[in-house]
Amino acid sequence: MALPPSLRVSFSPQELELIACEELVEIIPLIAMEKTAFISGAYGPLRPPNKAKVPLWMAMNLKLKKKCHIVAPDWLSVEYLQDKLLQETNAEGFSALPLRFAEMSKVLLDVAAEDIPNSDKVRSLLKDIREVRQAKSRDGLKKIDHIELSLANLCAMEINEIRPFYTRAMDVLTHLARSPIADV
Amino acid sequence: MDDDYYSIDSILAENQKIQCTFKVDIPDLGHLDGGHERDIKALSKIQLPLWMTYILIFSDYADFTVPAPFSSRVKNALNAECKSVRLSALVGAGASWYAFGKIVMRLLAQDAARDMGAVLTTAFRERLLEVIDQAQHFAALGHIGGAGQSNDTAAAFREGLDATERELFALAQDSARSTKQWYESTDRGRR
Repeated sequence: MALPPSLRVSFSPQELELIACEELVEIIPLIAMEKTAFISGAYGPLRPPNKAKVPLWMAMNLKLKKKCHIVAPDWLSVEYLQDKLLQETNAEGFSALPLRFAEMSKVLLDVAAEDIPNSDKVRSLLKDIREVRQAKSRDGLKKIDHIELSLANLCAMEINEIRPFYTRAMDVLTHLARSPIADV
Repeated sequence: MDDDYYSIDSILAENQKIQCTFKVDIPDLGHLDGGHERDIKALSKIQLPLWMTYILIFSDYADFTVPAPFSSRVKNALNAECKSVRLSALVGAGASWYAFGKIVMRLLAQDAARDMGAVLTTAFRERLLEVIDQAQHFAALGHIGGAGQSNDTAAAFREGLDATERELFALAQDSARSTKQWYESTDRGRR
């Protein structure tokens, strides 16, 4: 195959970001626009003081042109994340976060940091959560065998990061553990 | 590691030599042992590559001894501390200890094969965590040149990785690095 090994088994983070950009977010537009048809659907109309729901890629585009404010999603707030961090450190498993929270929060904090209340605090909370979860998925590696590994509530970006070597390691274990009788 | 006919790794693994003891006289094949004798005599010991030994062993023309990389000395060392055994030194650079072991396991009788499988699996699992930890550590450093003050045990462990573990190391390092780069990238300049 012509693809480099890293792209054969999993997505690149940029591809995941692209997928996450289809998620809807609320914006407060600063320009008026009629309902417009795009390939992924029809969005709008935008009428300035009213909020509108548009996909993240569109919000990002408008924001970079200073044509809207983005309303931070419920889960991107200090209280919610603090709560999750507490759950994460106290409980055994992973806490339930939106599947694409890593991608969305990165994009939102990147282009619209001033629209998110307490963005610095949010940023550091997200970093803490990410570190706790990474430590947990590392513990999962101890339990790996050739049959299955179950890590519930892992989000898309985290799965993607560990997929290449977890699948390879399980593949190797399958070969080593297969009973010699089955081979003949 | 896989059995695919076209897999280069599997061909390389079958190129490892093991010592066979012939049970019968075989005329005109003395060149297998370097060409000093014309015939192979019964009870003579010859190092043969694995791919040639399948037929000899399964047809009962020869017996084999478990090769040094899987001797009880190595097993004891693995039991004592998996991470300080240099697998690459056992099978030679670029070769896979696990793939070699898997083939030897296939040649062994049932009980011995099960023991061997257990040794391979335990060793792999116990070393895996260290492989991944180090790979992620190196990915976090950003560039490989910056590994100045890493300690000797870790460096020795890295040198002792066999081909299978090296592949995993590279996979883990690549994905950790690309994820880290993505987290640090920004779209602010884009319009």
